[in-house]
Amino acid sequence: MTPATRRRTLVVLVLLLPAALALAVTAGSVPLPLAGVAGSVARRAGLAAASTAPLGEAGEAILWSIRIPRVLLAALVGGGLAVVGAALQAVFRNPMADSGLLGVGAGAGFGAVVAVTLGLSADVFFALPLFSFAGALAAVLAVYALAHAGGRPSLHGLLLTGLAVSALAGAGMSVLLVRTEEFRVKAVLFWLAGGLEGRSWPHLASGALFIVVGGVLLLLLARPLDLLSLGEDEAAALGLSVHAARLGVLGVAALVAGACTAVAGSVPFVGLVAPHALRPLVGSRARHLLPAAFLGGASLVVLADVVARTASGRYDLPLGSLTAIVGAPYFLIALRGQEGR
Amino acid sequence: MSAVLEARGLCVWRGEQPVLHAVDLSLSAGEALAVVGPNAAGKSTLLRALAGLLPIQAGHVEVQGRPLRAWPRSALARELALVLPDDASARALTVEDSVALGRYPHRGPFRPFTTEDRQAVRRALERTGTLDLAGRRQGALSAGERQLATLARGLAQEPRVLMLDEPAAHLDVGHQLRLFRVLDEVRALGVAVLAVVHDLQRAAAWAARVVLLAGGRVAAQGAPGEVLAGAECARAFGVAIRGHAVPGVAHPLYSFEDAG
Repeated sequence: MTPATRRRTLVVLVLLLPAALALAVTAGSVPLPLAGVAGSVARRAGLAAASTAPLGEAGEAILWSIRIPRVLLAALVGGGLAVVGAALQAVFRNPMADSGLLGVGAGAGFGAVVAVTLGLSADVFFALPLFSFAGALAAVLAVYALAHAGGRPSLHGLLLTGLAVSALAGAGMSVLLVRTEEFRVKAVLFWLAGGLEGRSWPHLASGALFIVVGGVLLLLLARPLDLLSLGEDEAAALGLSVHAARLGVLGVAALVAGACTAVAGSVPFVGLVAPHALRPLVGSRARHLLPAAFLGGASLVVLADVVARTASGRYDLPLGSLTAIVGAPYFLIALRGQEGR
Repeated sequence: MSAVLEARGLCVWRGEQPVLHAVDLSLSAGEALAVVGPNAAGKSTLLRALAGLLPIQAGHVEVQGRPLRAWPRSALARELALVLPDDASARALTVEDSVALGRYPHRGPFRPFTTEDRQAVRRALERTGTLDLAGRRQGALSAGERQLATLARGLAQEPRVLMLDEPAAHLDVGHQLRLFRVLDEVRALGVAVLAVVHDLQRAAAWAARVVLLAGGRVAAQGAPGEVLAGAECARAFGVAIRGHAVPGVAHPLYSFEDAG
């Protein structure tokens, strides 16, 4: 990694995201011409005074009420998960760490199942993402509290507690699912598979608040993150309040990852792959890696969602399965590389 | 000379276990003090306690005449640097980025680095001979190079007290000599250096004063020759130690044999 490589990579990432966004708003079961999209956006922004809608009434409706919010949400979720992954990799001092370690995914899943079992998801708009968010936060708090119960927590203790809490949430989920009517089980399964079908502006607005604010907070913690990556004693000897810093990072990471999972369901491996793949190109310093991971993760999920929407003419593929199909082999190869060192 | 670091009656527990019992120790500006002792004597615990990383059960530690507890963390890190042995997992950062973190006590989480910080980082890299490695990832270095890079981070802190835990543990003799030469250079600038040294021969050659720690107690302290020749040292390590004067070598060479 040289400074020149880092700059080049950042330039490529900065160009890649708008390109991916442009591709994603035009592609779909109803293709929209890029020029028309650009015209429509310019008209909305008050830059062009076209008297008629450039895409026609139907096209405008698809663009503004379906495609743009969905594509932006994909970018936010991908970017948010990637930033969280990069931050957790520093805290856990392991380049393979991911929000799944803290029980975020399992907690969110459990929350979603509770919402569905209570019958709230059908009646109350937003009940499912809200419960899922609460589940994710509860899981992370439980992991942290349990790991601290024995006094001074070690990172291994934290990781294994995360596993145990995830297993517990999974068990709870299964118990609730067997007592749930079949048609509701299907809703849960779709949710857990991860996807952005049917998400619109309200999801975007509520998710964006947590993801953007949390992402900025994590970026502000860049120097403490670098210190944490040195090790606990090293960081403390350099004057960092290690436990406060760690708790702060984990708390913000849980908010961001919880919000991502709440609006998009489970989208695995993005948090691992994006920062891991970019680290050799931009280096490990948080102030470089976090923004790069955001851009890379955003582009990745935007493109994955395009594939999810367009690969089959009849139905959307689950977004989470797509990222897993790419991410799991990547994880295994990277793991062998790490073990082999 | 007044002590920059002083411990009186220091007792430290780790978990339920008492590790240090009433340890007295003092360190003056520019002094080279080696802490030696068998495994599990409490050497690393002593360093961490002196650096304020462990709770103190009883006794008293003062840095620059001010109780350790009264120091805010970052102010303490400007006075006192702790260089820990090479840790296999902290290898993702480049040498330069890692050394630059030594400026954290001076700038905190948000204030941007100044020319002064950049100069301190450069000086530390130059002094340790790691300037050429600045852009390399720490994981790509040899153990010796990595230890020098870790020392550079401690130097970038520009502390008045430098404490090192077995700095030469994995180093070949060339890197060892280089490392102790760097320590002598910063001592000449008035920095007090306290190092846990595994190798008794090295401790005797480098330090002006040696503290022998055994079973969490100071068993002996004084000039290296006295401590190593003493009965306490032989008992602590369970070996017979003999010093041999060699013409042309400033320090006696030591041989170690089974006590039985």
